[in-house]
Amino acid sequence: MIVLGLAAWALWPRGVTQVGSGVRDQKDSAPRKYTVRVAPGIYMPGTRPQDLGKPLQGLADVAREFEKLYPDTRIEFTDAPVGEREYLITQLAAGQAPDIINVNVGDVWQDVQKGWYLPFDKYLEQPNPFVPKGQLGCEKWWDQFKYQSISRSKTAPDGKVYCITYDMVETGIFYNKSMFARLGLQVPSDWFEFIQLQQKLKDARVIPFLVDSSAVADWGVDLVFNQLYGSIIAGMKLKRDPSREAHLSRFFDWDELAYLNRKGFFTRRDPRFVETFRILKAWRQYFEKDMSSTDLTKMFVTQKGAMYWTGSWEVNRLARDPDVGFDWGIFYLPPIPHSYDRFADGHDQCVIGGSGTQFEVTNSAFDDTHDAATSEKLKRTIAFIQYLTIPKNVDRVVNEILCFLPNVVGAEPRPELKLFDTILHREFANTKWLFTFDLRFDEIMRRMLDLYINNGISEDEFMAWMETNVKTACDTIVRRKRIDLSKFDAKWNELAPLRAKVQELPREP
Amino acid sequence: MSLRRRNFASTAAIYAMLSPTFGLLAVFSLVPFVWAFVTSFYDYEVGGESRFVGIDNYVEYLHDPTLLPSFANLLFLTVFGLLIVSTVPLAVAKLIFCLKSERARYLYRVLFLIPIVVPGVAGMMIWQGMIYNDTGLLNETLRLFGREDLTRGWLSDPRTVLWAVVFMGFPFAGGINILIYYAGLAGISESIHEAAELDGARGMTKFLKVDVPLVMSQVKLLTILTVIGTVQGFEGMFILTKGGPGFKTMVPGLWMYMNAFSFQRMGYACAIGVILFLLILSLTVLNMRYFRSSEELKAEGA
Repeated sequence: MIVLGLAAWALWPRGVTQVGSGVRDQKDSAPRKYTVRVAPGIYMPGTRPQDLGKPLQGLADVAREFEKLYPDTRIEFTDAPVGEREYLITQLAAGQAPDIINVNVGDVWQDVQKGWYLPFDKYLEQPNPFVPKGQLGCEKWWDQFKYQSISRSKTAPDGKVYCITYDMVETGIFYNKSMFARLGLQVPSDWFEFIQLQQKLKDARVIPFLVDSSAVADWGVDLVFNQLYGSIIAGMKLKRDPSREAHLSRFFDWDELAYLNRKGFFTRRDPRFVETFRILKAWRQYFEKDMSSTDLTKMFVTQKGAMYWTGSWEVNRLARDPDVGFDWGIFYLPPIPHSYDRFADGHDQCVIGGSGTQFEVTNSAFDDTHDAATSEKLKRTIAFIQYLTIPKNVDRVVNEILCFLPNVVGAEPRPELKLFDTILHREFANTKWLFTFDLRFDEIMRRMLDLYINNGISEDEFMAWMETNVKTACDTIVRRKRIDLSKFDAKWNELAPLRAKVQELPREP
Repeated sequence: MSLRRRNFASTAAIYAMLSPTFGLLAVFSLVPFVWAFVTSFYDYEVGGESRFVGIDNYVEYLHDPTLLPSFANLLFLTVFGLLIVSTVPLAVAKLIFCLKSERARYLYRVLFLIPIVVPGVAGMMIWQGMIYNDTGLLNETLRLFGREDLTRGWLSDPRTVLWAVVFMGFPFAGGINILIYYAGLAGISESIHEAAELDGARGMTKFLKVDVPLVMSQVKLLTILTVIGTVQGFEGMFILTKGGPGFKTMVPGLWMYMNAFSFQRMGYACAIGVILFLLILSLTVLNMRYFRSSEELKAEGA
């Protein structure tokens, strides 16, 4: 309690932000007027991601070139743990966070009203000064980004863009090709085959599928949800946003989810919702026993598990690790056919990945004047990010490792990652349940799903938790954002004929 | 100089020497406590505005879905902790005390103390990674005996997780508690042992009827420390299970931490903190009031 009291005192709102300090990695000690501190995440110079390969140098080289262009500016890299929410919040509240950070922008959205982050909209609509005339980006910085719709989907609920999506990440099922060949197994083309395949592996005394519990709650729920609701989205989609491309046209925003929830969706009365979790639970028997603390990469590399659902970053590990003594490949989760589940229609699984590295600019970036409009330091901070997005620089930074795909036109992904590029062009998920509501919702959903699939509670108990959790989250977001959901009434009524053709829709309360 | 003035001068010197320590204690312990108490009446999000909400945070906690499971877990952990702390170290201390050779007694005291040099977090990681893991000692042993059906994720299976957590540190025999009991046993006068033996008390009877009552001061001390440690402590759960699966290993301290630093609900977290403080205070007072040590019983008898 004393620690809490200290924290409360230390973090109580104050008017002044202060210059912070970071960990330097450079030997240059020449006096420079501005220091831009960057927490680049996986691209941290001098580190060896996954303890493989040579120490990274790409970002440091780019920074050195930038410093030549701006002799009054020093780029300082820090490996501060900005991904740790506890750390980041305290640093931001104290005005001591690094100027450029790389965190999931969904976390940032929770705090945008506090003035901790800088919106990029103004800069994105203007030219990138480092782009030569005639090339993409010379008129609008926005134009440089390759995966436009995914990048634009990172717009916060307040309509502003708080991150620059630097690269892309997607999930895939990594599988042991040698083991498949030995056991006479094929990559599955649908969910039926997928389950049969896992049963054969289980019979062969191999863990069929390695996945951690948070991936099931995040990716698993969104993908299965998309499979079961895919055929009825037309009767549910309340907003039509022309600025969104086809990729995102079937995505539900939180206000739509809140409205639908009041119409009985995402409750115990919604059989598709119940079925979504039932499918995940039935799948659970093929996962490793301990889903929370086991080193899954190690289990895959040591051939204790046959398949491993993880992100594209694992390519770096598997391609470079000399201990991997087998051939491996990647496939994507197969579709669920109607013959497997009455709500499924067998369409291809959607995309759940997207933005990998997401650069945000914090309030520390204008601590020279405490005013973004007049800050010279902020100009240099933005310029550095713009400089980073030049294709040759993206190539030097992103392609130095085999983890992510460049998100700038002119910087091609490494051949080993090409498969993910094709997946990324599919339609995006209908929801991102864990990135829509508040963190309390996320915490309860993760925990209760974990408990449910591990036989800790019954389906009824789990659905009771989920129903309350979704309702509370919807009520909270509607209250906080002061949204009038009646704006959807007309559209809802207009879509009634479409819904009339659908069976087993939830009854309105 | 009058006696009174001399007394004042010497007392003032003591106060002066105490003041830096007290000052630091006030700044880092007492003021934060008051601050936390005040904050508990506010809806305060870090970096956002704060709004006075009266006792709303306390009322909300009464309806919090984690309240019952987390306090049930706390009760279980406390009872288990008390059971362990009042038996195993005492028995080990008595066994060491009974050794004839002073050299052997010294050696065993050192050997039983050595495990405390391993940081608690490291110990937990060892249990998590090497014993409870999918391919850890427990599961591999079961597989060795052909009992694959009994293998499980010990820390992710809702049926075993709480037991897996409390059994970390098995056989609970190392550490400072043994020394505390040993000191208590060593403080019992030889004449008491002789008198007991003259009255026919031997072995277990002597241990239960003579030793145990006379180490009640130590039992009382360790009881208070265990209760406070269990109610306040959540780092173990944080490292091992984050309170899961579900809320199967959630404890109030961890929920307080998560509300403060993950959900940024500092006022709500402070309310949980105040409740935990009051709980610890009540249990300590109860312990002091009703749990009598031998010295206190002796004093009452006199």
